[in-house]
Amino acid sequence: MTSTTDTTPPARPGDVPFWGRVANSRGYGRFSDAMLSSPRRQFVLLAAFPILWITLTHLGPLVQMFRVSLLDAYPPTRDIAPQFSTEHYAIFFQDRLFFAPFFRTLVFSTTLTLITLILVYPVAYFLARHVKRDNQILFLLLLLIPFWAGEIIRSYALMLVLGNNGALNMALRFVGLTDRPIPFMYTNFAVSFAIIYLTALYMLLPLYSALEKIPPSYAEAAADLGAGPLTRFWRVTLPLSLDGVSSGCTLVFLIATGVYAVPVLFGGPSTTTFAETIAGFFHVAGDRWPTGAAFSMIMLVTALTIAMVFNRLIRLLQKEKRR
Amino acid sequence: MTPRTRVLMSIAYWGFALYLFLPITMMVMMSFKDSKFIGFPIRAWTTDWYGHAIANGEFVSATAYSLIVAVSSTVIALVMGTWLAVLLARKSFWGRGAVFALTMLPAVVPGIISAISFRIYIRLVDLDPGMIAIIFGHAVHNVPFVALVVGARLGTMPRSHTEAAQDLGADPIIAFVRITLPYLRPAMIGAAVFSLLLSFDDFVRSFFLGSYEPTLPVLLFSKLRSGMSPEINAISTMVLIVTALLGLWAERSMRRMNKG
Repeated sequence: MTSTTDTTPPARPGDVPFWGRVANSRGYGRFSDAMLSSPRRQFVLLAAFPILWITLTHLGPLVQMFRVSLLDAYPPTRDIAPQFSTEHYAIFFQDRLFFAPFFRTLVFSTTLTLITLILVYPVAYFLARHVKRDNQILFLLLLLIPFWAGEIIRSYALMLVLGNNGALNMALRFVGLTDRPIPFMYTNFAVSFAIIYLTALYMLLPLYSALEKIPPSYAEAAADLGAGPLTRFWRVTLPLSLDGVSSGCTLVFLIATGVYAVPVLFGGPSTTTFAETIAGFFHVAGDRWPTGAAFSMIMLVTALTIAMVFNRLIRLLQKEKRR
Repeated sequence: MTPRTRVLMSIAYWGFALYLFLPITMMVMMSFKDSKFIGFPIRAWTTDWYGHAIANGEFVSATAYSLIVAVSSTVIALVMGTWLAVLLARKSFWGRGAVFALTMLPAVVPGIISAISFRIYIRLVDLDPGMIAIIFGHAVHNVPFVALVVGARLGTMPRSHTEAAQDLGADPIIAFVRITLPYLRPAMIGAAVFSLLLSFDDFVRSFFLGSYEPTLPVLLFSKLRSGMSPEINAISTMVLIVTALLGLWAERSMRRMNKG
């Protein structure tokens, strides 16, 4: 490295491009001699800061949340040092009050993930198989237009549909199915509808990219061998798209468990989700942070475990089918 | 494929498109309705609500606040995401699996838990809720997406490019700045736009990490809880149009880039 810089003929500053001047400058030379002289040092220069970043900012908050969940009081009061305690985890298992929102959230998220999968699969299949290659991006982009407006704006748009004077009630009255507005808002139905509306595209994109990769010749070969449409789907297309199914379902499930604005805007007292329960511990002025932290840990571990078990099952299924 | 399933499939697609578009179409229509009452039928049209929304200082300052947060957090996410992608491009080093897992961690933590853990964490480092906290929360959340997008582009880069540069006397840093970065540019622009939109749209982190000054989604949320107003229609429609155009542009250029 240094030999090349040394043999370069001295040039007037105007002749040498900017980066050349940087590379030839004395300060940079010293820096590069010190940092890049061995592969080991190069690696340290490359890796040190990003590893520090992920440890401190990606992992740090979760570790601190876990720590706080095991303290008897937090934020600490002036004179008393917080003590180790597992009482906040005990609260969850003792008080039935918190079981209902917890299980509601899990059941909600699981069912909604399956419903979304069933609703979106044909759409992804149509895009990947029936639309001409050149038009596929166009058809996909069309569906992405509402996606970028964000959670709150799309929720608002949906409130205009589900409200008492909303489009759905208007349509029902127009058809004559009802003469009074049906209160859709503030029910389980509204919350589910909104979560599906917000997460459907997270299912569509992985499914589409998995289905798009399957060569059409596979299904044709199966057809030549005498497989009917259902068999072709069940034995060829579905197994090959399982990657998309697992990543789409994981995404939708994790988003659905953590969504906060939707149950607040669309739900009522009978639809409290665990996200609202957790948030409650941080709104009140009182010192309930450790309880909130413990509940967050319970939810995080449960959600990630379910997602991992699900992914493992899909893996097993793939191996099974391949045999 | 029989013609009948083909028809059923296309019905599924167009039905889905209708399902996605019906609510936002309603919202856009209501923003032009000349009445304080939101709902059908629409008898008269007006563009006044747009004037009201723009003249409303609350919306303007919330939008400005959201933009500052989005741009700052995107800069951080872009630098760290790219850096991590370059690190992860090394095929084998001790602990690579752990680094990869930690890089992707913020993408799999459910929204409310991510927000709560940041709220607790900024207390530890003695940072008050406010702009810096929101920027930090958004940046961390966006790093995995940047790392994924940039990493995918990095995977398609021929090794010979940087080797040639180093043969010609560039050291690894100069080779990175002059060869790798220009190659990554389309991916970085795309990732930056996605990161901007994710941050601008984010509600749950801004809600728990913010102080009294709201970002635009937080302001809209609090307005929605107290009741609807035609101004919300107008402001939402403007945000919808701008974000859709930006998102479409980025998505299209990214997909073209990946195709070849």
